Amino acid sequence: MKVGPKSAFRVLAVAGAIFVGALGASLAEAKTFRINVVGDPAQMDPITYSEIVAGRILRAMYQGFTTIDDSGRNVPALAEKWEPLATGPGFRFHLRKGVKFHSGREFTAKDVKYTFEELLRPGAKGGLNSTYLKVVVGADEMKKGTAKEISGVKIVDDQTIDIQFTKMDVLFPIYPFYFMDSGIVAEQGADWMTKVSAGTGPFKFSKWQRGASVDLVAHPGYWGGAPKVDGLSFKIVPNADTAISQYEAGELDFVDVYAAAMRRVLRDDRFKNDIIRVPRAQSTYLAMNQNLYAPFKDKRVREAITIAIDRPAMVKGLYGGAAFVLNGVVTPGMPGFNPDLPEIKYDPERAKKLMAEAGYPGGKGLPPIDIASTEAFKDEITYYANQFNRVLGMPVTVKVVERATHIRAMNAGEVAFFPWGWTADYTDAAYYLSQMWYGPSPYNRGRWKNADYDKLIEEALTVADDAKRFALYHKAEKILLDDFGMAPVPMSAVVGLKKPNVKNFTITPFGFGEFARVEIN
Amino acid sequence: MFRYFLRRLAGLTPVLGAAIVVTFLAIRALPGDPVGVMLSDHSADVAMATRLRAEYGLDRPLPEQFLRYVWDIFTGNFGLSFRYVHRPVWEVLRDSLLISPLLALGALALALPIGVLLGVQAALHRNTMRDTAIIVSLVAGLSIPNFGIATFLVYLFSVKMNLLPVAGWGQFKQAILPIVVLALPSAAYIARLTRTFMLEVLQQDFIRTARAKGLAERLVVYRHALGNTLVPLSTSAGIMFGGLLSNTVVVETIFNIPGLGRLAIDSIFARDYPVAMAVVILFVLFYALINLAVDLFYALIDPRVRQEIAA
Amino acid sequence: MSGGKDSADASSGRFIRRFLRQRNAVIGGAIVLVVLAVAILAPWLAPHPFDATDLVNVWAPPDAVNWIGTDKLGRDIASRLIYGARASLMVALSVVAITLVLGVALGMIAGYFGGRTDGILMRIVDVTLAFPEVVFAILVASVLGPGMATVIVSLALVWWPGIARLTRSLVLVQKQELFVDAAIVAGASPGEILRRHLLPNIIAPLIVRASVGIGFIIMAEATLSFLGLGLQEPTPSWGSMIRDGLPALRTDPYLAVSGSIVLGLTIIGFNLLGDGLRDVLDPRLHGR
Repeated sequence: MKVGPKSAFRVLAVAGAIFVGALGASLAEAKTFRINVVGDPAQMDPITYSEIVAGRILRAMYQGFTTIDDSGRNVPALAEKWEPLATGPGFRFHLRKGVKFHSGREFTAKDVKYTFEELLRPGAKGGLNSTYLKVVVGADEMKKGTAKEISGVKIVDDQTIDIQFTKMDVLFPIYPFYFMDSGIVAEQGADWMTKVSAGTGPFKFSKWQRGASVDLVAHPGYWGGAPKVDGLSFKIVPNADTAISQYEAGELDFVDVYAAAMRRVLRDDRFKNDIIRVPRAQSTYLAMNQNLYAPFKDKRVREAITIAIDRPAMVKGLYGGAAFVLNGVVTPGMPGFNPDLPEIKYDPERAKKLMAEAGYPGGKGLPPIDIASTEAFKDEITYYANQFNRVLGMPVTVKVVERATHIRAMNAGEVAFFPWGWTADYTDAAYYLSQMWYGPSPYNRGRWKNADYDKLIEEALTVADDAKRFALYHKAEKILLDDFGMAPVPMSAVVGLKKPNVKNFTITPFGFGEFARVEIN
Repeated sequence: MFRYFLRRLAGLTPVLGAAIVVTFLAIRALPGDPVGVMLSDHSADVAMATRLRAEYGLDRPLPEQFLRYVWDIFTGNFGLSFRYVHRPVWEVLRDSLLISPLLALGALALALPIGVLLGVQAALHRNTMRDTAIIVSLVAGLSIPNFGIATFLVYLFSVKMNLLPVAGWGQFKQAILPIVVLALPSAAYIARLTRTFMLEVLQQDFIRTARAKGLAERLVVYRHALGNTLVPLSTSAGIMFGGLLSNTVVVETIFNIPGLGRLAIDSIFARDYPVAMAVVILFVLFYALINLAVDLFYALIDPRVRQEIAA
Repeated sequence: MSGGKDSADASSGRFIRRFLRQRNAVIGGAIVLVVLAVAILAPWLAPHPFDATDLVNVWAPPDAVNWIGTDKLGRDIASRLIYGARASLMVALSVVAITLVLGVALGMIAGYFGGRTDGILMRIVDVTLAFPEVVFAILVASVLGPGMATVIVSLALVWWPGIARLTRSLVLVQKQELFVDAAIVAGASPGEILRRHLLPNIIAPLIVRASVGIGFIIMAEATLSFLGLGLQEPTPSWGSMIRDGLPALRTDPYLAVSGSIVLGLTIIGFNLLGDGLRDVLDPRLHGR
């Protein structure tokens, strides 16, 4: 086939066009914000989700009455304002107008009621958020299946909804609900969550490649203004070091630094300007279950253990500086935090004296005990075991337990001696105080009980005035600490690395910040 | 010949059946409770726990669970994953299915030529410095754990030189480092085997005859000697593929590749019984099929074996 | 090579001479001896206790007090490496011992008696061998929970079928030899035949297989520890030390590097020894 000059020219022209087209396409390539998560979410259903990774991804797609802004404060989201009901305990919420779901439909009061009912419906496996509805009138009947709707939730009009309580719960507006589109099941079927998302958030679901990533695309109709990036990609990276390497190689725009890599990141000069470091909203403690180990019944033993821990050394040595000393239950940055709590000083001499006074000089007479936790706390319990062995002569053995077994055992009150942390889902100290150390709470894993403490907590939950409520929190916390009901231990920081060309995104004590305004230049 | 194939295939069945029983019991024996994992922090919720247990059939007696499982397999239903709510097991597997064999094949394709070449060189120059040098590097290649090699290579090629991506899957260049890491120990092993077999073959009479006939050395080596080496080598290659398949477990973990190996570990750790069972059984199946294929190949090319079968 | 006990002395002398002539075997043997010595003498060799934490002194570079530096909890790396030798060798030798005893015994029985016993035993071997090694080890280790006993049991379960199968084929070959018939005619019981006549003749390839296998067993233990299924704190294991040291590789490489070097050298030593033994004991490579 002879190629003459004319056909050669044509070929070149086509090739050139293709090249320019490809170049143009790659230049106009979608700007995706890439961030890491530690594993696959179990599911993408705002009703049944019950673990952290799913929660983080869902937060970009779903919203509640309020949301947590980048400084860790609660700000109105789908509810513009609310006031207590005149007729009894409860709230009237005034919902935002002009909010569109991912499906295009408008958000109204009926979607709020629908979401609540889905959370309580017996057939559905209402996840984390269903517990927040327990004070709502008619919630019990709905859960048991004796009622088809929640009697205490009344739709006044499209933008107004009344919610009646059996007893006052001042924190109801800040509970993290995820309101979903009531029309989605009719449109997409019962497994809609595998195909689309049904929220009001700035991003909507696009694709989930198991083991690789969860991809979201921008929701142009978002009430807060269309996002400035075309999509979000949550890359699934289980390994701490890999995440950092991917950041260095430019494959991630923002890294949530896991514990194992924190020290390295903090010491590397290259990351100096990229680091964001805030205290984590996680109350960490060392539990001493008095029902399971007799010596724990003695307050002196509990105090000895508490002051035998060298907290500053842990922060510096174990965490490489990526941790904050905790002197109480409530973490810094959490409304209700008490900045005036005295520092718990490391005092091995006094610890030894206390042990001797309690009848165990040099640890003699102490029965052997396991300090148990999951792989995540391996370093801590190795340190504690060695420390208590050395300083107190206490025969402690390290026991690393599989996670599900351990959680079940803790919930059942079967673990005598263990460190653990409780991460907050909403911005009020009640999250810690009422769930972790309150007598009737199923999550009081250390099984410490005090009637005065319980009374204070119950009272606090009815006090709307922040200052007054926080004063009650402080009093309750003091009771717990004076009794050495548990030993506060340092809590690791939230550390993030942000590329210089990323704007309007950060990491807060509660996790990822707002995605709505993130920009990549 | 065909009947031999069918007979061997039938012989697989009891082995597979036993493997299924063993796997079923082992996975049920894992400490920790899948319902506990599902509920995670909420395992105090007894009502929900009971409901979940009933929903997944975990409250039935063990033999009944087993029979239901086998029946489900026959009807093509591998059940629902415990970990990924609402997802059928085959859907969870589907994405990972081809990845691990692809990695293993890629590694084998890389390891074979390199290994054979090195092995031939070592055999030809036995007891010289070249031989010792090659042997030392082979032993080293086999002795250094793959997680060590992987970290070093990642540091060198991804971070320092920015040539290759660190982890993940979806583009061709993401497969390069994992395949190299997988291939290195195999190449070393193949080289050693080749050297040993070559040395044996080179001692044989027909080689001396060929030399005496005046055939060019290169022809002697590459056609006659190597040809006869390939037969025992191919049997080992099959076994190696199986070994490679299971080595993908570590490599996939390091490079964050969503393949079967990593799925196996993740589902065992997460107590996702249905997925763990399915993946382990799949591995066993692959392994058995590979061994069968190797045996058949052996039968095809070795006339002695063929005679034996025909008899 | 039919067994003859009369030439035993001469052949063991020949063996030692041939062994020493093999460069690989000597180097490998030396390394193995050093590691063995370190493992046995650990409590006297280690400068510090292996579990003494010192949070003020984490990730310290090598100095006069800590010759290789300290790890993430301030523990002395050198001492942990020394005790790690103990752990690795204990696991490896236990596994080899168990698999040899179990595999050889069962393989000999299957090979000698044949028939139904052989069929059943070989079916069990087939089923076990149907599982890829790493996956099987992970499964067993997950069932039993992490720890030294688990590692030993899971690795032994993975390895014994190979030994059993090898033993069986060796016995099948030896069974045909004249001296076996002679022993039967002389009225020896099967136990005696197995123990006194067959065993000495099949021991050589088994030893080779075992010594080559130790290298792989040590690597497998390191892999299990790397995945979190191996030895538990505070017991040091080279595999878990490497795993702990990897995240800090760029800023504090001493833990990962020293662990890798020691692990790699030990495995190299065992592999060289195994190779050397094979070269010495394999009759086919001699006499030409």
